[in-house]
Amino acid sequence: MSKSRLPTDWKAASVQRRTRRRYAAERRFRLMGLAAVWLSAGFLAFLLVSMVSEGLSGFRQARVTLPIDLAAAKLAVTPQQVRGRGADLALAGAGLEGAVDRAATQAFGPGGADLISDGAWLVVRDAIEADPALLRRRTTIAVPVASAIDVAAKHDGTPAAEAIVTRLKARGVLTMGWSAGFLTAADATDPTRVGIWGALKGSLLTMAVTIALAFPIGVLAALYLEEYAPRNRWTDLIEVSINNLAAVPSIIFGLLGLAVFLGTFHLPRSAPLVGGLTLALMTMPVIVITGRNAIKAVPPSIRDAALAVGASPVQVVFDHVLPLALPGILTGTIIGMARALGETAPLLMIGMRAFIAAPPSRLTDPATVLPVQIFLWSDDIDRGFVEKTSAAIIVLLVVLLAMNGLAIYLRNRFETRW
Amino acid sequence: MSALAVAIVVFGLALIGWLAARMRAATFRTPGRARFTALPVHYGYFVGICALVPPLVFLATWSLTAPALVTDAVLATPAAAALPPPGFERASILSEARELGAGRSYGAFHDLSAKLAPAYAAAQHRYDWIATAIALLLAFAGGGLAFTRVRPDFAARTQVERVVMLLLLAASLIAILTTIGIVASLLYESARFFRIVPIGEFLFGTHWSPQVIDARDPGASLGAVPLFWGTFFIGAVIAMAVAIPFGLMSAIYLTQYAHARTRAWLKPVLEMLAGVPTVVYGYFAALTVAPAVRELGVALGVANASSESALAAGAVMGIMIIPFVSSMADDSIAAVPASMRDGSLAMGATQSETIRRVILPAALPGVVGGILLAVSRAIGETMIVVMAASGVATLTANPFASTTTVTKQIVDLLTGEAEFDSAKTLAAFALGLTLFVITLALNIVALTVVKRYREAYE
Repeated sequence: MSKSRLPTDWKAASVQRRTRRRYAAERRFRLMGLAAVWLSAGFLAFLLVSMVSEGLSGFRQARVTLPIDLAAAKLAVTPQQVRGRGADLALAGAGLEGAVDRAATQAFGPGGADLISDGAWLVVRDAIEADPALLRRRTTIAVPVASAIDVAAKHDGTPAAEAIVTRLKARGVLTMGWSAGFLTAADATDPTRVGIWGALKGSLLTMAVTIALAFPIGVLAALYLEEYAPRNRWTDLIEVSINNLAAVPSIIFGLLGLAVFLGTFHLPRSAPLVGGLTLALMTMPVIVITGRNAIKAVPPSIRDAALAVGASPVQVVFDHVLPLALPGILTGTIIGMARALGETAPLLMIGMRAFIAAPPSRLTDPATVLPVQIFLWSDDIDRGFVEKTSAAIIVLLVVLLAMNGLAIYLRNRFETRW
Repeated sequence: MSALAVAIVVFGLALIGWLAARMRAATFRTPGRARFTALPVHYGYFVGICALVPPLVFLATWSLTAPALVTDAVLATPAAAALPPPGFERASILSEARELGAGRSYGAFHDLSAKLAPAYAAAQHRYDWIATAIALLLAFAGGGLAFTRVRPDFAARTQVERVVMLLLLAASLIAILTTIGIVASLLYESARFFRIVPIGEFLFGTHWSPQVIDARDPGASLGAVPLFWGTFFIGAVIAMAVAIPFGLMSAIYLTQYAHARTRAWLKPVLEMLAGVPTVVYGYFAALTVAPAVRELGVALGVANASSESALAAGAVMGIMIIPFVSSMADDSIAAVPASMRDGSLAMGATQSETIRRVILPAALPGVVGGILLAVSRAIGETMIVVMAASGVATLTANPFASTTTVTKQIVDLLTGEAEFDSAKTLAAFALGLTLFVITLALNIVALTVVKRYREAYE
C-alpha cells in the first residue's frame, strides 16, 4: 500500500541542515536547564552573600579609648560596695553614668558625651566590678561609640559622623573589636546595645513547648493511624484533616491562636507558652506525616515475628516498630522544628511583636523570638539596625542549617534498607 | 504549694507506686507457676497510671476554676465593698490586687488594690492547700487501690494497653480538633463581622481602606476585591512567572541531564532555598530587591514605580517557591515509565524532543497539581508581603505599582491598636476565612489531580 521510496540520503544538505537545527535546539534546551539550576543556586548564593556581607560587621563594634579618672570623679561608692552584692545598683546610684559623660567631654571636647554610646557607662561599670581598685586611679577604658559613629566607622555614614571618625582615627583612639554584647544582651532602643540573647531564649522556650506537645502527640497519632486504625470514615476524616493542616497557611494558625488561646482561654499575650502551643499545632501534622512514612517503611515481617512469639499488638508497636522507625521520625521532627523556628507570621498574630528588653525567664513571661526580632529590627529606621538585622539573620541561618544538617546526618547514619 | 510542685510530687508518688508494684509483681515469678498474663512492668505501669491520672485531671480542672473561686472569696471580704461596679476599672483593680497578692508586682496603682492584696494572698493560700490536699489524696487513693489489685491473676497488661490505645486515639483526634478549632474560630468571628458588614459588600466591594471606617456604613470601605486581586497578582501571576520556568527547568535538568553526582549535591542546594525562613526573604526583598526593582521601573520610564512594588514581593516569593515546584515536577517526571522515554529515544528523537513531546505531556497532571499547591502556598505566604508589599489596596496590573495582599492586611489589621471586636479586627478573621477556604480548595483539587495521575501509571 505504501509506495516504495528511496533510502534516506543522510548526506543531503536538507537533512543535514535539519539535523543541525535539531541538535542546536537540543543544546539550547539543555543550556536552559543548566541556566535555571545555576540561576536558582545563584539566588541562594546572592542571598547568603548579601546577608553575610551586611551582617558580619554587626558582630563588630567601634570603640574609643576613653581616659577616665575615677578617683577625681569622687563617686559615692566604695570598693567594698562594689565587691558585695548590688554593685550594679550602687554604681548607678553613685552617678557613674554622669562621670563617664564628663570624662568623654573632657577627652573629646564639647559634644564628647554624644560620641560615646548610651551604654558606654555599662562597660566602665563592668570594668570596675572586675577590678574595684580602678576606683582609686586614672585609667583608660575602650568604650563603644554612638551608633551614628559606629556606622560611619564601618561603612559610610553622614558627613558629620565621617568627620568625627577621621578625627578620632587621627588621634589613634578608635579601635574595632568583637561586639561581645550582641550574643548576650536583649533588645534595646540603641543599636550599639542590642543583642539577640533575649530573642534566642524566647525561641528556645517556645521551641521547648512546641516539641513537648508536637512530638508525643504527633508520634502517637502516627502510630495509631498506621498500626491500629480501622479503615473507616472516621480514620479517613482524621487523615484528611492532617493532610490539610499541613498545607494550611501558617498565618491561619496565628488567627486560631489569637481566637482560642488568647480570646477564649485568656492565656497571657506574647508568652512562649502561647507561641509554643500555636507552633505545636502547626508542626504536629508534619511529624505525623513523616512519622507515618517511617512506620510504613518498617517491614511487616518484623511485626509478624513479634506477634508469632506471643507479643500483644501494643508490645509489637512499642518494642519493635517504634524503635526501628525512630530515626525517620526524628528526622521529620527536626525538619518540622526547623520550620517552626523560622516561623514569624503566626507569632505576630498572638502579640509577640512587643519591645522586650529583658530575656524571659518563665513560659508565661512576655517574650519575642528570633525571626520576630529580625522583623522588628528590620522595621527600625536607625541605620545601625541594618547590620544588626543581618547579623541576627546570620545567627538564625546558622542554627537552621545546623538543624537541617543534623537531620541529613541522622537520615544517612540510621537509614536502613530492608 | 504551686501547681508545678504538686505535679512533681504526684509524679514522684506515681514513680514510687510503679517501683513498688514492679517489685511485688517480680515475686510472683516463682517456679511452678507457668503462665502470667502480664510482666512485672505492666503492674508497675498500672499502679503508676492509677496514681497519676486522677490527680492530674483534678489539677487541670482546678486550675481553670480556682481563679474564679479565689475572686469570689475576695469579693466576700468587707474591703471589696468599696469596689466600683463591674467594668474595666473593677477588673483592673482586681487583677492588680491579684498580682500584688501573688508577690509578682510591688507597686500598686490603685489604693484599693493594695487593700485587697492580703485578701487575695490569703484566699489563694487557702485554696492552694485545699488543692494540694485533694491531689495528694487522689494520688494515694488511686495508687493504693491499684496496688491492692496487684495479684498474679490480675490482667494488668490488658488494662495498661487499653489506656495506651485510648491515648493513641486521643492523639489522633487532636488533628480533627485543630481543624474544627480553626474552622469554628474563623466562622464565629467572621459571622460577627458579617453582622456588621454584609457579605456581598465584603466579597464584591472594590474599595478597601480599613484605616478610615465610616461607622454608619462600614461596608463601603471594606470591599476586599483589591486584596483578592493583589494576592492573585503577586502570588499566582508574578511568583509563578518566576517559579514555574526555574522550577520546571531545574527539575528537567536534574532528572534528565545532570550526572548522578552533580544531582546529589545540586538538589540539596536548591532545597536550601526552601529552608530559608520567610522573614529572611522578606528582609532581602525589602532591602535589596525592592530598590533595584524601583530603579529598573524608573529606568524603563514607569511613572509610578514604587519601592513597595508587586514585582519585588512576587519575584522573591517565586524564588522561595522554586524548590517546591522543582521537587513536585521531579516526582511526576520520575513517575513517567522509562519505556515511554526509551521508545521515543529509539525512534530517533533527541532528548529535548523526548522531554517536550513525551515526558512533559505524560507528567503534566502531576506538574499542574504541584503548581496548584505552589499557588496555594504563595497566596498564604505572609512575611515577604508584610515586609516588601505595600499596605495600600489598589486595583492595578502594573507590576511596578504597589499592591497589597490578604495576608499583609490580616497582619496590619491585627497588629494595630484596635479593640478586639471592632469591624477592623473582625475583618481580619473574615479575610482569614476566605484565605482558608481558597487554599483548602486549591489543596484538595491539587491533591486529587496528583493522586489520580499517580494511579494511572502504577
